[in-house]
Amino acid sequence: MNRPLAPRVTRALLLTVFSALFVLYVAGPVAWLVSSSLQTEAQITEVPPNWLPPTPSIANFEAIFAASERVVTYENRRQGEALTSNFLPSGAANLLPAMRNSLVVGAWVAALNLLLSVTAAYAIAVIDFRGRRATLYVALATRVVPDIALVVPLFLVIRNLGLINSLGALVVTYLAITVPFTIFILISYFEGIPRDLYRAARIDGCGHGRALWHVYLPLSLPALVASLTFAFLTSWNEFVFALVLTQNVAAQTLPIIISGFIMDFTTSFSFVNAAGVIAIIPPVLMAVVFQRYIVSGLTAGAVKG
Amino acid sequence: MARITCAALTKKYGDVVAVDALDLEIAHGEFMVLLGPSGCGKTTTLNMIAGLEEISAGRLSFDDAEVTWTPPHRREVAMVFQSYALYPNKTVRENIASPLPLRRQPAAAIDSAVAAAAAQLEITHLLDRRPNELSGGQRQRVALGRAIVRNPAVFLMDGPLSNLDATLRLSMRGLIKRLHQDLKSTFVYVTHDQAEAMTLADRIAVMRGGLIQQLDTPEGIYERPANLFVAGFLGSPPINLIEGVMAGGAFSRGGWRLALPNPPADGRSVTLGLRPEDVMVAAPGLARLDARVELVSPLGSETHLDVVAEGGLKLTLRVPKEWRAAVGDQIGFGIDPARLHLFDRASELRL
Repeated sequence: MNRPLAPRVTRALLLTVFSALFVLYVAGPVAWLVSSSLQTEAQITEVPPNWLPPTPSIANFEAIFAASERVVTYENRRQGEALTSNFLPSGAANLLPAMRNSLVVGAWVAALNLLLSVTAAYAIAVIDFRGRRATLYVALATRVVPDIALVVPLFLVIRNLGLINSLGALVVTYLAITVPFTIFILISYFEGIPRDLYRAARIDGCGHGRALWHVYLPLSLPALVASLTFAFLTSWNEFVFALVLTQNVAAQTLPIIISGFIMDFTTSFSFVNAAGVIAIIPPVLMAVVFQRYIVSGLTAGAVKG
Repeated sequence: MARITCAALTKKYGDVVAVDALDLEIAHGEFMVLLGPSGCGKTTTLNMIAGLEEISAGRLSFDDAEVTWTPPHRREVAMVFQSYALYPNKTVRENIASPLPLRRQPAAAIDSAVAAAAAQLEITHLLDRRPNELSGGQRQRVALGRAIVRNPAVFLMDGPLSNLDATLRLSMRGLIKRLHQDLKSTFVYVTHDQAEAMTLADRIAVMRGGLIQQLDTPEGIYERPANLFVAGFLGSPPINLIEGVMAGGAFSRGGWRLALPNPPADGRSVTLGLRPEDVMVAAPGLARLDARVELVSPLGSETHLDVVAEGGLKLTLRVPKEWRAAVGDQIGFGIDPARLHLFDRASELRL
């Protein structure tokens, strides 16, 4: 209580400084993305840079929504000089459809990932069967292989399935990435739930399905939300497989379309940044909505602690 | 009501035999206690009766129906766990009701059954709380409520009082005994606490190493222990065990001899069991043996004396509270040969 003042001040100062540095490191790029999306091309490229937009403008966002209403051709695509903004990359009209594709794929991946992983993790964590550990190790071992090494074999499999250029190709592929990890996360969470609760549920008349539904799922909410978020974000951000497995705009996702805006001769940074801001809106919304479910202590009071 | 028949019930974990061909018949409405140290197989036996552990070999029947392979939710058993195992996301009311909706009962029936169980356990005022707002004793009452609300044929209790403090344990013990008298169901109760076993049981099965050592009434177990393990496991302070040989029809140890009724053959190595309370203490010189007091442990209602008798023999004696002894005092004590227990030292069995 009566510790000397000086060490306390030093401690507070150090904490503040390092917290600020950390926040700057994490949030800096995002802040610059948002700031530059509100600037013209000329303002973005000025030296020294404008950290805050000198004359905030939503012209870049307007361009995105306008792009979907008119056809961009080689003749009319150059609306102005790249340096003075209003330059529209070809393919700008694909941005919003790609966002829809990303959302559809992300939703399917998040939902199916949860369905598959929850049942698999319950079986491995709770039911005693021969080879339960081996099942987990095999599943995790598939993730040791670098994605880039899987691109060609996966392409052949997907092509033989007739799924090339479809959203289904992406859903199937992303599930192969997310399911092993999610099983792993959920197993450790399920194993942390007191075994006596499972026993009590069985005695109370629950088969495995009801035990999962009435005991494990309500108590695993934080892990379920984390899994949901993880699967959605993995799907939302994935680039390499999407690039190979989808070759026309009908099935292409946001990362592919946005990366296409960066062209060899001219790149409209303002437009790309505005597209980037739009691309981070769904994940940010998701984080805001779900963060209140990520709480601990759900099993308090279940067993003698 | 149900009669439980275990026939050569066996549980193996790999090469480890946890329960070894256990034969046990539990009668309708009987209060059976499985008693033993940890790792003796008592909880495994209970879990096999519940259906929570797969039975490796043998046969389990309720009345005349075999249930060896019946999953737990089809066995009509209720169980109370040492850890309480309440659903933390549900209120007390929902916890108690939890077995009922799964058995497709109408809502009104559920409400009245929960109310009746809560009244019986005096937890009506707690019905809308959650488990983390309850004390240990209250939680265990809720767990009991969840068991009795089903009116099951068989009650299984896995050390339900082990996590409670001493005073609470005593009152909950009374509650469970009254519950058994009211419900007249078959109870199977697992504990390592001999006082719980003695006070609650109609019969006790003392277990060790996956085997039943003795199956008898509490009095029978205490007064006629079948072997050295049972003799040593029950009784507080524990029974005094004195090793010696039979000579001339008397127990002999060093220079000390004690004539026995019905003595076994001479030359046999035996262990003599003497309960601390089966002695008459007197002034030195007046009784059969003299001893020097080493340790005095007054308990209020009685006093325990650790003494060293002739020949360096260390014994614990239980004396009335009026007996005031000090460390270093000389006392005398007498032994009633009829109250002694004699065991073969090699087989450890009662003679």
